[in-house]
Amino acid sequence: MTNEREQELIKRLQEAVINYKPADAKKAAEEAIAEGADAYKMTMEGLAGGMEVVSEKFDTHEYFVPETLLCAKALYAALDLLKPFIKVQEGTVRGQVVLGVMQGDVHDLGKNIIKAIFEASGWTVHDLGRDVPLKKFVEEQMKTDSDIVMLSAMMTTSMVGIKKLIPMIKEKNPKVKIMIGGAPITDKTVSEYGADVTADNAPNALKEAMKMLDALRKGKM
Amino acid sequence: MNGLERVATALQMKEADRVPVAPLVCGATHRVAGISYEEWARGGNVEAMVQGHLDTAKLIDHDGFCMLIDLSVEAGDFGMEVIYPLNDTPHPNYDNNFLKGPEDYKKIQRINPRKGGRMKTVIDMVGGLSKQVGGTHAIVGFVYGSIGILSMMRGPENFFMDLMEYPDEVLAAIEVVDDVLIDYAKAQAEAGAHTVCVDHLYCSQSILSKPLWEKFEGPSIKKICDAIRGAGALVSLHNCGNGIYFDMSEKWANPVAISHAYLADDVTTWEEQKTKWGSKMTTIGWMAPGPVAMLGTPDEIEEEVKAEIGAMAKGGGFILSTGCEFPPNSPLWNAKHIVDCAKKHGVYSK
Repeated sequence: MTNEREQELIKRLQEAVINYKPADAKKAAEEAIAEGADAYKMTMEGLAGGMEVVSEKFDTHEYFVPETLLCAKALYAALDLLKPFIKVQEGTVRGQVVLGVMQGDVHDLGKNIIKAIFEASGWTVHDLGRDVPLKKFVEEQMKTDSDIVMLSAMMTTSMVGIKKLIPMIKEKNPKVKIMIGGAPITDKTVSEYGADVTADNAPNALKEAMKMLDALRKGKM
Repeated sequence: MNGLERVATALQMKEADRVPVAPLVCGATHRVAGISYEEWARGGNVEAMVQGHLDTAKLIDHDGFCMLIDLSVEAGDFGMEVIYPLNDTPHPNYDNNFLKGPEDYKKIQRINPRKGGRMKTVIDMVGGLSKQVGGTHAIVGFVYGSIGILSMMRGPENFFMDLMEYPDEVLAAIEVVDDVLIDYAKAQAEAGAHTVCVDHLYCSQSILSKPLWEKFEGPSIKKICDAIRGAGALVSLHNCGNGIYFDMSEKWANPVAISHAYLADDVTTWEEQKTKWGSKMTTIGWMAPGPVAMLGTPDEIEEEVKAEIGAMAKGGGFILSTGCEFPPNSPLWNAKHIVDCAKKHGVYSK
């Protein structure tokens, strides 16, 4: 494949994500696979590149939740095809996260946007869904040895479970980092509940996760 | 002054004897009523629910009652399956959406909110409280807006994408839901609600762009609010999103008050909020339910009360409250402390 053709496919993937065109994303991914393009490069430079622009648009209130969800839909239309062809390269793997909405809470919109952005950026996401029993987070972290556990709560009634859950996770693995998010969560909740960090939207969650992973890998935390 | 006079004075942008205070103590009243959250929320025991509100007022002495049960009341009556945990807020069962695909929007039927279901419970609760304390306390009815209800029946994620992919189907469903909500809001006004509060949650930067919100909920909320005014009650709104579109709220609902947790999208401080919007509509708010009302120490709550009164109370147009429902699992002591602090720091000097 020529460099020009590769760049053309990357650009088409980016534009399909940015302009939320699942059919275009799928077609570009199919062509990339048929022509033997590097699936990892297509994912990272095409899909993740597009999602980076979407994140900026979300941050600056050009895009809102519906637009972002449709971008994620386009992203998955291509990612589902490209994934089996991605060869894990040394030094390119990002981190692993366990992600879920707290027990008693079914608000999973923010969680799903976070999942799309993290997956597009090369992270492995173990998504437990919504209304997740506390024990399940602990078990999944142990099973996957994930670097970060991300807990979402949109109600004060579900938020209180976080206080109970964090010591349960840390008891099994003191090094694991905990990010919490959702409407009732503030910096005060982070310190009172013993979490490591919070983020008010998906792009910021990714930035915070990158920082924590970097520090973890350098052995600082 | 009694609570009703105090609230009415604030709504007229005048100073009462002190700042009115009404933390949105709704689900938490089940503990005073002596029934489980589940029994309370299912709505079968209106008498206990009314008594729970009255006894809570004896404990905390707030100025008004909010008739929210939870946001799934209307969706449940339209046919969405609702799960009632024993000690938690009810919620739709998103594993079994009533609207499984965009073609299902036409399944929604007009229902009579006065005949049965939890909408009738709310109407009866308004009636029960009105009879007992309608002359002394503000009674605030509650209606979830049309697109909020539909998002619960379709699942929020599907619904938000449908707004862009299947707008005609959504708009047709909104018309049906509106007809029911108009009657529901009127029934609450007729039962004695002084104001009916419409929750237009998605009218904020947290979820929808301004044009998209306006297209789907602008005309809808106008019809409901006109019906409320027509039935002799005042219109108020609730929105706990971030960056609320006050200009859209004014244009389409023209409320006397907004209960909110965060600032309008066109201001950056509460002082600016007061200057820009404070003379147009009363702020009901804005104490954070989690960090302050639930986790706050007595000193932190007092500091917050002082700060909010300092920023917003001058000249009236301010009712101190939580920015969203008082956490149902939070100690009522905190609600009482909010009220006590408002009495201590909210006295207007004549």
